[in-house]
Amino acid sequence: MRLLAGLLALVIAFPAWADCPLDLGRGTGLVIFSSHYLVAFRPDPMRIEVGEPFSLLFNVCTKSDKPAELVAIDAQMPEHKHGMNYRPTIVSLGDGRYRVDGMVFHMPGRWELAIDVRAGEESERLSHEFILK
Amino acid sequence: MALAASGALTAPAIAQTPLQWSDDKVKAIARHGPWPPPLSRDPSNRVAGSPNAIVLGEHLFNEPRLSADGAMSCATCHIAARDWGDGRAKAMGRSELDRRTPSLWNVGHAHWFGWDGAGDSLWAQSIRPILDPREMASDAARVAGLLREDKALACGYERAFGEKPGGGDEKLLVDAAKALAAFQATLISPRTPFDAFRDALLSGDREAAARYPLAAQRGLKIFIEANCAACHFGPRFTNGEFGDVGIPFFTRPGEVDAGRLDGLAKLANSTFNLLGRYNDDVSGASALRTKHVQRLHSNFGEFRVPSLRQTGSGPFMHNGHLATLEDVVKHYSEVNPDRLHSDAIPLVRPLALSAEQSADLVAFLRTLSAEPPPRHAPPPLCP
Ligand code: HEC
Ligand code: HEC
Ligand SMILES: [Cu+2]
Repeated sequence: MRLLAGLLALVIAFPAWADCPLDLGRGTGLVIFSSHYLVAFRPDPMRIEVGEPFSLLFNVCTKSDKPAELVAIDAQMPEHKHGMNYRPTIVSLGDGRYRVDGMVFHMPGRWELAIDVRAGEESERLSHEFILK
Repeated sequence: MALAASGALTAPAIAQTPLQWSDDKVKAIARHGPWPPPLSRDPSNRVAGSPNAIVLGEHLFNEPRLSADGAMSCATCHIAARDWGDGRAKAMGRSELDRRTPSLWNVGHAHWFGWDGAGDSLWAQSIRPILDPREMASDAARVAGLLREDKALACGYERAFGEKPGGGDEKLLVDAAKALAAFQATLISPRTPFDAFRDALLSGDREAAARYPLAAQRGLKIFIEANCAACHFGPRFTNGEFGDVGIPFFTRPGEVDAGRLDGLAKLANSTFNLLGRYNDDVSGASALRTKHVQRLHSNFGEFRVPSLRQTGSGPFMHNGHLATLEDVVKHYSEVNPDRLHSDAIPLVRPLALSAEQSADLVAFLRTLSAEPPPRHAPPPLCP
């Protein structure tokens, strides 16, 4: 996962959000954000293998550093027009931290992860792209 | 197609020069190895990998007394000399079945079993033919009785499981299946000309790489460019999941084999799935797929992506619909997209290959097989 290095750089470049707990256990993670939300996450194990189950660890915050809710996770291969053959489950660990189990990317290629988050009335879909080789 | 010269393979020093392979293609080729793969032990089976269970399993595999009429064993359909299949389009039990007997090579590395993935472990899958009335038509009591009463089998059981064959009939049926699974997991297909080429390409050994026939190299290139590896992924040339490549799935007029869709229903209803009490894995990790798998409309008419290693001489596909590898390549070359039953995964489309390209792709597919070493009779259970 070469994306990791690039996104890690992003984390360092945005110290304004340093209060949102970005440490996901190994000091590394991917970070994506919108005008309202900041989402840090990492796969577990770190390297996603084609066809192998993996989990995702999440910290979800609002821009004002409040914990937010992870509502749903889904993934698609846009070029192949299909999703996952498995339905992940979301376990809340409190304080905007979540563990998502039962993810499987069963083909090499581009996967688009859809992350639905919510704080109060406002929900939003953030997305992130993985290229699996 | 950009063909960047890749390292050591540039100098045409030998009679037959390998094709030029871009870095991306070398990486794509590398993913189909190494072979043999590292050993994997099934955590749901407490006797997986145990030498005594493997011996017991091989005896049971050849044991016709597991069947109701004492005439059919696993080896009746899974014939060693036929790459652990039977060479028939549709298996022949007490009557003709709807599906082809799959090869058992490398079956220990799969995670869904059967063409519809109704089994989630090798041992659960091994119970199916014992109980199926169209196959061995047996029951737990018969299998358990045999393990308890036959002196040699009882002794083999004790060696494999560390205790006398006790407990209820169903438990002993499951134990027999776990020994069968331990044996089947040892069936690893041999290294092939493709593996020699792959390793030579990665280590920059030009001379060794050049021994791989040019036709196969051209065929390999087609395999990569046609994205066959989207499904036929990794060292076994399968991602272990399911797909629809446009093979008709009528079993008889008005009846269809719904494939994966039915397989998931059978899985959910099975006492022997990994969420049940016979899973020996206390961590629960082995049941992850079973727990999270979802039943989708698109599963209708999907069948498991078969491995392309050591496929034998055909017929091919879940119902033996295609007789030869040439027919398979013709199918992928001419497949009518309208024939695809699912919501059209645009991964399978007519490749429109020329006669030469088709021959090259067949030549490549043939290099995924090799002569397996001779097999010896299993050692006696209790000498
Ligand atoms: C009558 C022929 C026949 C007999 C006897 C038979 N099988 Fe099979 N086997 C098949 C067929 C057909 C399938 C495919 C089943 C399906 O897709 O539902 C299969 C599938 C399998 C699979 C799954 C392979 C894979 O790649 O997923 C395993 C493992 C297996 N059999 C083991 C056994 C064992 C162990 C026995 C003896 C206890 C046995 N079989 C007896 C015909 C047979
Ligand atoms: C969408 C996933 C997918 C793609 C892409 C794909 N296959 Fe397949 N392949 C399958 C499935 C699924 C089957 C079994 C279908 C059935 O039995 O109905 C299969 C069967 C086969 C078989 C028969 C093996 C056997 O033991 O019966 C061969 C050979 C094969 N494919 C080669 C290829 C080649 C070559 C390509 C590229 C041109 C390719 N496949 C592309 C999914 C795929
Ligand atoms: Cu895909």
